[in-house]
Amino acid sequence: MNFKDKWRFVQQNLKKNRVRIFMTVLATAMGTTFLIVLASVGFGLHDTLLKDIMEQDNLNEVSIYGYENEKGEHQYITDQHIEHFESLNNVKTVRRMNYLGQAPNYQVDNFEATAETRSVYFPAEQQAGMALAEGTFPTQANQVVVGYHFADELIPQDVDYDDLYTDDEVRKEETLFSENIIGKTLTFDIEKFDENDDVETTTFEVEVVGIVEEPVQRGWDDSNVYITDMLLNEIAAFTGTHTGSPYPVDDIEDTPTEKSYDNVYLHTHTLEQVQDLTTQLTDEGYYTYSVATEMKQLNMLFTIAKAGLIFIGTIAILIASIGIYNTMTMAVTERAPDIGIMKAIGANPRTIKQIFLLESSYIGLLGALIGTAVAYLISFAVNLGLPLILEAVFEEELPEGFQFSSIPLRLLFVAVAICLIVTIISGSRPAKKATQIDVLQAMKREI
Amino acid sequence: MITIKHLSHHFVMGKKGETKLPVLHDLSFSVNKGEVVSIIGRSGSGKSTLLNLISGFIHPTSGEITINGTDVTGFSEAEFADFRLNQIGFIFQNFQLIPSMTAYQNIELPLILKGINENERKKITEQTLERVGLSQYPNHYPGELSGGQQQRVSIARALVLNPPIILADEPTGSLDSETEASLLEFIRQLNQDLNITFLIITHDQEVARIGSRTLEIQDGHLIKGGNSR
Repeated sequence: MNFKDKWRFVQQNLKKNRVRIFMTVLATAMGTTFLIVLASVGFGLHDTLLKDIMEQDNLNEVSIYGYENEKGEHQYITDQHIEHFESLNNVKTVRRMNYLGQAPNYQVDNFEATAETRSVYFPAEQQAGMALAEGTFPTQANQVVVGYHFADELIPQDVDYDDLYTDDEVRKEETLFSENIIGKTLTFDIEKFDENDDVETTTFEVEVVGIVEEPVQRGWDDSNVYITDMLLNEIAAFTGTHTGSPYPVDDIEDTPTEKSYDNVYLHTHTLEQVQDLTTQLTDEGYYTYSVATEMKQLNMLFTIAKAGLIFIGTIAILIASIGIYNTMTMAVTERAPDIGIMKAIGANPRTIKQIFLLESSYIGLLGALIGTAVAYLISFAVNLGLPLILEAVFEEELPEGFQFSSIPLRLLFVAVAICLIVTIISGSRPAKKATQIDVLQAMKREI
Repeated sequence: MITIKHLSHHFVMGKKGETKLPVLHDLSFSVNKGEVVSIIGRSGSGKSTLLNLISGFIHPTSGEITINGTDVTGFSEAEFADFRLNQIGFIFQNFQLIPSMTAYQNIELPLILKGINENERKKITEQTLERVGLSQYPNHYPGELSGGQQQRVSIARALVLNPPIILADEPTGSLDSETEASLLEFIRQLNQDLNITFLIITHDQEVARIGSRTLEIQDGHLIKGGNSR
């Protein structure tokens, strides 16, 4: 008996009890929809978070924020460590940074701005991808580059803060620094306090030689001033502290006693090297952090979460499978006389089993397809409607590109496969029962 | 064609199978090719059990059944199903047609089970419908046909694969006397035209006369026409 003929039998059988078949398909479709929609939340949130992480340009980066020596004591990262990092195989470059221990007030022409000042190693920054929107990198101690938004922070010295903005809270045109900052001289004071809290001030003058490119992350402002290590050393020589802090070392707890770095970032050649490097450095006693490691942990967490959601969804399909079992058992019972006749005239039990398995598989497949289509609609509606609802009810705006539900192709395959396997299993017992029907009993013949 | 040797059968009764009910006792006989053999006996004599054993619907307690040179005694259910499809046609007392299928579809069923292609099936089914005189009723469902017509559909289904043997269990049991006579004449004709071996079970002496030989069973013993003790 070929497949076409078996399929014809299945169609004939399905037509005999349309309502029952419809209800069974409906239950299966609901189970499949539940599974897909439930798991799609896991996939959606995972995708959104991954997308967010991938948007950062520091995927190849391993951040080092300290060292624990053999005695278990915390140590700062010094030049000795930097040398070690630079000798490592997978390391492309080592960025190091120090925050100036005070936030100076920079003055240019009649404008001023208080900005965070960072001392960086420019060659490493360049290698790691730091680019300038305009100008060049500093080559001398009295040269600096400024962040993309630094000029926006400059305000006229003789204007009250209240007069800076219009009623719509937009900066007034005349208060903006409209000239090109490149080539301008910034003047700033560095303070130092002695033991008696008496302040001593010295003035530095630096030339702006470059503007850093706009940050790629959405909504990030860069109004920092980037100085060279040479300038930081000059400032430190005046303040007597490594970081240019105005207070004596002893006054501040946990201040490094030797030259060290606040932030150190190791850049690898490839993304794959990040994990190995992180593991190696952690084993050596460094405190490390990398987005790639976080991503791996995030992936693992979401994989477990998605598996859990699929498992819960499978329970819905298992419940639906009870309906299939019931429908198929009733079908076998109702068709027992027909099965008996078929067996009597020479139908192989295997053929009868295949017909019933085909029938339950068809119900499962139809349910899975309808369920998938409905799941797509629900997923679409949720992604469309949820931001609107959250905005209306909680007055919270979701981040751009936020996806609550996502149905990748692999989820579809998993759901349809689970549905088919469950329905075939639930249909296999009635199918076996059909093969065991006694011919004489079924035909009600007198023995 | 059919050889039965020392065939005995008992039914097992009771929840634990503690009671055995003997039905057939050491039956031995043979049916030659092209013969029409009637098996006669009263109700409960064991004649239907004999037919069910030959058909493979039940397995004998002891003895040997050989059909067309093949010892079928130890056949599995699947083996017997294939054997029935290829070697044996059945005519039942109450026709045993599938009510949801038309006359055409009922007749076509053995051809489908054998895996014959659609064009060939159509040709054979139409020829068989014509042979049994039902070419006017291909799309009628069994419920729309008379008893005689239903039995002709049943005969057509038995004939459609050209089996060498047809087993008939009370073939005229549900028919009036006029239809009965016509049907018996039709069986005789088939035997003459196609040289098909018929084994007919009946309790009716008139029907039994169609056979060239009559075997009689009484209380599970073959008392006439065989080699029973």
